[in-house]
Amino acid sequence: MKAVKGRYYFGGIHPRGNKELSKDCPLEVMPLPEEVAVSCAQSLGKPAEPIVEAGQTVKCGELIAKSDGAISSDVFASVSGTVTEIKELTAANGAIESFIFIKSDGKDEKAYLPPLTEPDAEAIKARIRDCGIVGLGGAGFPTAVKVAPKTPVDTLIVNGAECEPYLTCDHRLMLERTDEIVRGARYVARALGVTNIIIGIEANKPDCIAKFEPYEDIKVVKLAKKYPTGGEKQLAYITTGKRIGHGRLPADYGITVQNVATCFAVCEAVERGKPLYERVVTVSGKAVKQPKNLWVRVGTSVQAIVDYCGGEQSSPKKVVQGGPMTGLALASYDCYTHKTTSGVLLLDKAEAAAEEPTPCLNCGKCADVCPMHLMPMNTAFYSAAGDFEAAAKYGNTAYCIECGACEYICPAKRPLIQAIRKTKAYLHNKK
Amino acid sequence: MDNSIVISTPPHVKSKRTTRGIMLDVCIALAPAAIAGCVFFGWQALLIILMSVFACVASEFVYFFIANKGFSEKCKNAKAVCLRWTKQFDFTSVVTGLILAMIIPTTDKWYQVLYEVIFGAIFAIAVVKMLFGGTGKNLVNPAAAGRVFMALSFTHIVATSNFVGASFGPISDSSLVFTDATNLAGLLTNGLDINPSSYLSPLDLLLGTGVGGCIGETCKLAIIIGYIYLCVRGVIKWWQPLLFIAVFGLTAVLMAGFTFDKYTFDITLFLPSVLSGGALFGAVFMMPDYVTSPKGVWGQLLYYVAGAILLALLRHFTRMEVFSFVILLMNLVTPLIDKYLISRPFGYIRQKKHKEGK
Repeated sequence: MKAVKGRYYFGGIHPRGNKELSKDCPLEVMPLPEEVAVSCAQSLGKPAEPIVEAGQTVKCGELIAKSDGAISSDVFASVSGTVTEIKELTAANGAIESFIFIKSDGKDEKAYLPPLTEPDAEAIKARIRDCGIVGLGGAGFPTAVKVAPKTPVDTLIVNGAECEPYLTCDHRLMLERTDEIVRGARYVARALGVTNIIIGIEANKPDCIAKFEPYEDIKVVKLAKKYPTGGEKQLAYITTGKRIGHGRLPADYGITVQNVATCFAVCEAVERGKPLYERVVTVSGKAVKQPKNLWVRVGTSVQAIVDYCGGEQSSPKKVVQGGPMTGLALASYDCYTHKTTSGVLLLDKAEAAAEEPTPCLNCGKCADVCPMHLMPMNTAFYSAAGDFEAAAKYGNTAYCIECGACEYICPAKRPLIQAIRKTKAYLHNKK
Repeated sequence: MDNSIVISTPPHVKSKRTTRGIMLDVCIALAPAAIAGCVFFGWQALLIILMSVFACVASEFVYFFIANKGFSEKCKNAKAVCLRWTKQFDFTSVVTGLILAMIIPTTDKWYQVLYEVIFGAIFAIAVVKMLFGGTGKNLVNPAAAGRVFMALSFTHIVATSNFVGASFGPISDSSLVFTDATNLAGLLTNGLDINPSSYLSPLDLLLGTGVGGCIGETCKLAIIIGYIYLCVRGVIKWWQPLLFIAVFGLTAVLMAGFTFDKYTFDITLFLPSVLSGGALFGAVFMMPDYVTSPKGVWGQLLYYVAGAILLALLRHFTRMEVFSFVILLMNLVTPLIDKYLISRPFGYIRQKKHKEGK
């Protein structure tokens, strides 16, 4: 359907996109890595339990760790070869996760599930669960839980906003795999029993909007170029006008939000029986030689990805896994990608703003840009004094989605997200 | 990869705006008003401006040098301390110095103003700003406090009869003559005209020709240029000074309409009242001061409306230029506003009344 304009929402920032670095690089399959380290904690919730042992041979796509509990997802071998060891390591985010190391035999033998033809809702739900699909936008919420809501759902929103700077993985996927994404969205819609499919695409991707307009059953919403338009609550408001309340799920309002990459993975899982073991990763930043959009196996080391992209052009100041606004700063290249890793960014000194904070001016710019209408300066002020109760009360910290808009705009370069996370940790421990 | 890699919480990219850049922008926005002041009031005005800025920066430096522990240590490696000071210098004291010079007049005894402004600057920077913790921690606007300090200590800068007139005469002579002289005299106190029998046209008030007054406040056109610059650079929100001026002007017109026996509403008084005195300058450069104004949108609305009404009422009843006092009063209310007017978050659900809120 013809694209319509989305609603205006208060707040948000206009960061320098820097998408032109990798926007025109077509999707490229990265050669098989020699070794992968697949983490068992690939999604929100409980980590999966390893079911393989060292020395065992596995095929690509074979189940190697079984989900444990309701909010958890299966983990699959991303290369064929031998399991060398299972050991616990400190992951990039500081958590201790068990990693399954697989040495590739170079044959890349596949072990897919049988493809489904004309599946019904239950079959699709089962397939999504069996293929270990999680939300590929970043949070990694298991899709199987999302497609089985407790309340009836009438709208499926496909998130093609990709409002984070630098990242172009969804952009390329939407351009090159439009039909698969639409088919995947239809499968998700069938599983949910909804007919109303909306796709939200940011206005800086007119080529993608044009690609989706010919599909008659899909409503295309053109989103304003603003960050964080792709946030779940913001996207739901922009496209449907519904405000998702604090502590509620979108399903309570009859909405389900799925990322375009997730829809693509659903399509692959249903039509080819392919479990989720690879994804598109944007390699970008001014410190990397050749920015690329790569198909990367889960568990590939960052070192291998950087080497494949020609190595460093200049010495990076920050290495980021994910988007620059919400991603994780890595201490070294000795880290492994997850299902949710959407980018590997090597930011040079000019890009990575690693400046010393200066005193807070109380300018209130952080409150002006907050898409959740919070007051981050209050949180920062009170949490610096150690009074987390007041920080949560006057800053409404519990509502924060940690989009990072406040810290981006801060002229004094205050570490606001750090203060917010500290306050949130306090609230979490108090419970 | 070398060892200079940095780990931090996100976001990993940040805007290029810095405190120093914003303060430089304010300095640039103040430049037209300062130049206009020098043109209208001569080299004495320039001297006062330079003296004020110098005194502010110097007192900040001296405070930085002697405050905290280890004075003798600091004396030994004075060079390192100076380097540290220049590193953290963010032009806030330059802005304070400029604003302070803008809101004091040149009088017949300009050499007195020249040394009096030093006391004002020291009070503004050392007592009002640095003692409370420096940049971002001051409770009230330092320049307004400095001006109030000077007004109370050296009364000759308040008495408008001492003011030096501008070096240009009115362009259009008294095309706008009001019959109701008493009320208007109250409105026009600070933008006093040279010839009390006739009143100046809004055009003269806008350009500042033929108007005596404070150095930076007379030429409204220069202030408007500064306002446009600040808005374009995103330093202040465009609606804030406009809201203030609109509410202030309307309240002033309403108040001016009261006489003993009848009530007249004359909207033509709007322009003279907003273009007289320091209302425009304060609304653009002093009310939106980051440190001392509320942070939420609702708090800001309350702050500007209340400040405007207060200014109009006080001006009407005192017949004096009281903007600095109004700013100090509103600054003192700001922490309260900030504490009790917290914006409601997106997706807020009322806890008790509605169970299924949207």
